Amino acid sequence: MQYTKGLKKTKFQKNALIDQVVKVGLFSFALLSASFIFIVIGVILVKGATPFFTDNNGLGAVNFFTFITGDTWLTGSSFQSNLYSIGFIIVSTIFIAFLSLFLSFPVGVLTALFIAKVAPKRLANFLRTVVEMLASIPSIIYGLFGAGIILKFVYNASALIGYQSKGGNSIIASVIVLAIMTIPTIASISEVAIRSVDKDLEHGSLALGASVTQTNFKVVLAAAKSGIFTSAILGIGRVLGEATAVSLVAGGRRSGYSFDILDTTSTLTTIMLEGLKETTGLDYDIRFSVGIILMFVILLTNLTLNAIKKKVGGIDVK
Amino acid sequence: MKKLGLSFILAVVLMLSACTSNEETFDTTSNITVYTRDTTSGTRAGFMSTIDFPEAETSDDVLVDGFVIKDNTGIMTAMATDEFGIGYVSLSSLNDTIKGLNFNGVEPNVANVINNTYGLKRPFNWMLRDAGDYPSQAVEDLVNAFVAFLGTTDAGDIIANNGAVAMPSTTTWDSIKANYPIVNQDNSAVTVRFGGSDSIQKVAEALTQAFTAKAGNFVAEHDHTGSGDAYKRTQDPAIKDTSVGKDVGFASRYFKDSEKVGVDASDYGQLAWDAIVAIVHLDNPLENVTAEDLKKIYDGTYTTWSDLITE
Repeated sequence: MQYTKGLKKTKFQKNALIDQVVKVGLFSFALLSASFIFIVIGVILVKGATPFFTDNNGLGAVNFFTFITGDTWLTGSSFQSNLYSIGFIIVSTIFIAFLSLFLSFPVGVLTALFIAKVAPKRLANFLRTVVEMLASIPSIIYGLFGAGIILKFVYNASALIGYQSKGGNSIIASVIVLAIMTIPTIASISEVAIRSVDKDLEHGSLALGASVTQTNFKVVLAAAKSGIFTSAILGIGRVLGEATAVSLVAGGRRSGYSFDILDTTSTLTTIMLEGLKETTGLDYDIRFSVGIILMFVILLTNLTLNAIKKKVGGIDVK
Repeated sequence: MKKLGLSFILAVVLMLSACTSNEETFDTTSNITVYTRDTTSGTRAGFMSTIDFPEAETSDDVLVDGFVIKDNTGIMTAMATDEFGIGYVSLSSLNDTIKGLNFNGVEPNVANVINNTYGLKRPFNWMLRDAGDYPSQAVEDLVNAFVAFLGTTDAGDIIANNGAVAMPSTTTWDSIKANYPIVNQDNSAVTVRFGGSDSIQKVAEALTQAFTAKAGNFVAEHDHTGSGDAYKRTQDPAIKDTSVGKDVGFASRYFKDSEKVGVDASDYGQLAWDAIVAIVHLDNPLENVTAEDLKKIYDGTYTTWSDLITE
């Protein structure tokens, strides 16, 4: 009696022990992954906060308010001034992001609709592979393409309408390059969302007498709203984070609020990138501060878009 | 309707792609689009100090509004497209796609840099560690041999092949190598660390590649991070003995006074000149600029091409 009781207890204990060990193991992996994010964010936060709270080797602390509202990147000499501000760059970045989304969103979604619903099967498979390949091209390639072709195109196009652009380096060139980059992302994710719309909804609409086009636009797209919005969020995330490609076509504006699409510009990422290799001291640390603002902008955009998605994508979606 | 739209789009695309500049009339009323490197560039520092605009070396405020910032190749490709632009590049990068302007009447070429008539140039300098401060005697001997090599015609040829202008010299390596017995040993276990300016990287790597073959095949390690690191990584007590310390540092500018404090005069010198050329588009009728013209362009006094081109 005692013997069997002891046996049962050991087996139960052994399983319980294995469960406990696995639980601890999985928890430590999760902790490891999460810790990388916290470490990275932590380091950037700490390094980025130092220009505002320390003396910066005699240059004086940077004023946070002028930092986020001013209109000149650096007033004074490099390494001898603490008057940095990125107000005009924040506005530029958001302006460029929304302009490029404005360009790429319709094209991406309509491409996805074509691939998912309208194209014959073989063409659809071919296009789907092409779009997925495009989505995986490294962004530096798009940057080189932009610097080689898009700049010339914008320069000639603006000369046609009588405006002297600066060699093509402009907001419109950055917007075009970014739009070309995000169209594949938006198209492939929207395509998955559109394909997963319940066939019953479609058949119901067709049965009620709606044409295929009416069904596609009013029923299918509406039902796939949630997935399409996700693609927009990912698209804008890619746009806000793009550094190298934009730095080759942006032009490096250093002061002045401007919404002139044929004038040069800077984004938060390009201002962090330019001159990064050869710089030290406050000029180096201030880029971490710009990084904090960038992360904040991305967070804010994501939260806004997610809130809109919850409100809009609530109906008719699984 | 669709066909009309399609043909219209095709026409627009064809028009734009066939758009070439009108060769006969260069519109002198157009604005000058100013291109520059960013503030950490050694070429910019050299250019701005030679045209007597030293405030612009590290400050963007004093430049004319609306300038475009590009890197070395970016300025070249921009000048090949932008008819109304002006920029500056290193003499070694000059090619047929753009027009290099004469400076004070002197044509930008190697001969004129050496005979000192061409004035828009900056020095390529080297800096070493103090005697006895090297990781080993072998490294110190190799560094001293390398510096002697820099003064020979063999090194001069290599420097010229890589786009810079070597200091005039008459000695050959063969005539002085007897003074440096270290080069006859097998040095494959010795590593010499080179660093400093990335503008000099190409020249430095070509020099070490040729020299290692003559000096027992030591290992030349290159890590070029900027002119500022030439002093920092060979002489600055806070950095020179860390893992990023170097044995030879290069700078594409004169060493500042703060960088010569406590440094022996024998620990630094010049290996070459790097000439800078002001460039414009091939269709631009301008042929010559003076330092004053360039300064007025970059500080915004001249805003249209008619200020410069008077014909």
